[in-house]
Amino acid sequence: MRGDGTDAPPPGARLVVDGLTKSFNGRLAIEDVGFTISERELVAVLGPSGAGKTTLIRCIAGLLSPDRGWARLDAQDIAAASHRRSRIAVVFQQFNLIGRLTALQNVLAGRLGHAPAWRGWLRRFERADRLLALECLDRVGLVELATERADRLSGGQQQRVAIARALAQRPRLILADEPVASLDPAAAEDVMALLRSIGRADGVAIVCSLHQVHFARAYADRIIGLSQGRVVLAAPVDQFDAAAYATLYGRCGIAPDDAGRAHADGAALRPSFRTRSIPEEIP
Amino acid sequence: MSPAEQALVEIERRERAVTPERLGLWAIALGAVAFYLVAGHLAGIDLGKLATGIPKLGRWLAQAWPPRLAELPLFLERTAETVAMAAIGTTVATLLALPMAVLASRNITPVPALYHPARWFLNVLRGIDSFVFALLFVAAVGLGPFAGVLGIALHTWGSAAKFFADSIESANLGPFEAVRTTGAGRLTAIAYALLPDLLPVMASTTLFWWEFNVRASTVLGVVGAGGIGLELKNSMDLLDFPRLFTIIAVILVVVTALDQLSGWLRRRLV
Repeated sequence: MRGDGTDAPPPGARLVVDGLTKSFNGRLAIEDVGFTISERELVAVLGPSGAGKTTLIRCIAGLLSPDRGWARLDAQDIAAASHRRSRIAVVFQQFNLIGRLTALQNVLAGRLGHAPAWRGWLRRFERADRLLALECLDRVGLVELATERADRLSGGQQQRVAIARALAQRPRLILADEPVASLDPAAAEDVMALLRSIGRADGVAIVCSLHQVHFARAYADRIIGLSQGRVVLAAPVDQFDAAAYATLYGRCGIAPDDAGRAHADGAALRPSFRTRSIPEEIP
Repeated sequence: MSPAEQALVEIERRERAVTPERLGLWAIALGAVAFYLVAGHLAGIDLGKLATGIPKLGRWLAQAWPPRLAELPLFLERTAETVAMAAIGTTVATLLALPMAVLASRNITPVPALYHPARWFLNVLRGIDSFVFALLFVAAVGLGPFAGVLGIALHTWGSAAKFFADSIESANLGPFEAVRTTGAGRLTAIAYALLPDLLPVMASTTLFWWEFNVRASTVLGVVGAGGIGLELKNSMDLLDFPRLFTIIAVILVVVTALDQLSGWLRRRLV
């Protein structure tokens, strides 16, 4: 998928990204990034910190405008057709809920792109929208907490409310920027399983950046590896092996058979600190 | 030597050295002393005058008893006028401050070109005291409390908008961004995501300014802009000390009561 962008995308392609380039103060954050994602597909974006994962997601979401390249949702340029943004949902690492509003009001924010502006100003939504929002909350298992203030919820619950907000947009694409990085392992498993089931059941394409290789291996269909702003690997999840790991993170560390369970990163840990003990008495 | 000992020796060596930075600090200290000597001279500090003045104040205070209670209804009416002026002026200022604060917030302004002009404008409003504005408005709209309201409103507009803008600039924009990505417009996202967090702060600071403006606007009457200040000035001009101190007592009681009320309300808000 290189070139002038007029090639027909493969059938079923939901998101096509080509040649995306963005630099900050002359430093390239992403360079010539391109890939295609079909409906129902969950693609994990892996890469070391600073590889450009967040920049990539923000460019696709329209929160940043790329210097070059484009992203197309259902064959329509996202940057040109701003109304398409209401069909792209973003899930953030820090959840980004409005703390003083209830879970329900936060989920209703997902309807703002579909409702007239005055409804947002007055926080008055149609009954159908409120019902949809509650259904989305039910989908993430939090309908009983609908009237609870968002800042009273746990981290895992907040992220599920954020996913319900994404669902309320009736999205074609969900972009998740390290959605589990601030969560404990159990809550992280819940959130990943939820994203996976939403992709499968609703036919939503999902791009999810991750730090944990084992989550990618357990929940993604494909893995895209970013390093220093460039795509260095793109492979179905079962082809992500030790060599691919080394390409991406620049060190060995994945045992192909147990990677799904063990903490893959941990195996590569070599102590870089001094192991000598503190003397009992200062001489 | 262990690495820790080496590091300690190095740190101790650096602490003892006479460096340009250390000489610079001494120069700044000397400069500060010189500044206060000059400032004291310019401000006409004269402790001798204070020594002769204090007994005078004592004699006035002694003459002030008993208080002039006959005129109490008038004093209360005038004080109510002051409180009302402050309330209306502060409320108008807060309402005007909200749109200005959006314009003067670097992170969310819809018109970045207007950011600096908006900030300058607010600085001008803030830099001119309500007393000075009231002087101008007495000339423009005539004597009376309305001139005072305008003076309070303009000065408070500048202070309030700057304060709101600063709190928007330091606010967490995550929720705002999240709402933007749902396809909501900029103003809708501000109303939906930023306002809920800002409103309690706004309400609480508005109460604070109201309280502050009640205290500040007791003097507005001196320039003829309404309120209790006019009675205060009349009494002083006539050297009518019982009246003067009765008025001061009324002001003290009302201001203290308002302080308590607004403090209680503010604690409930945040």
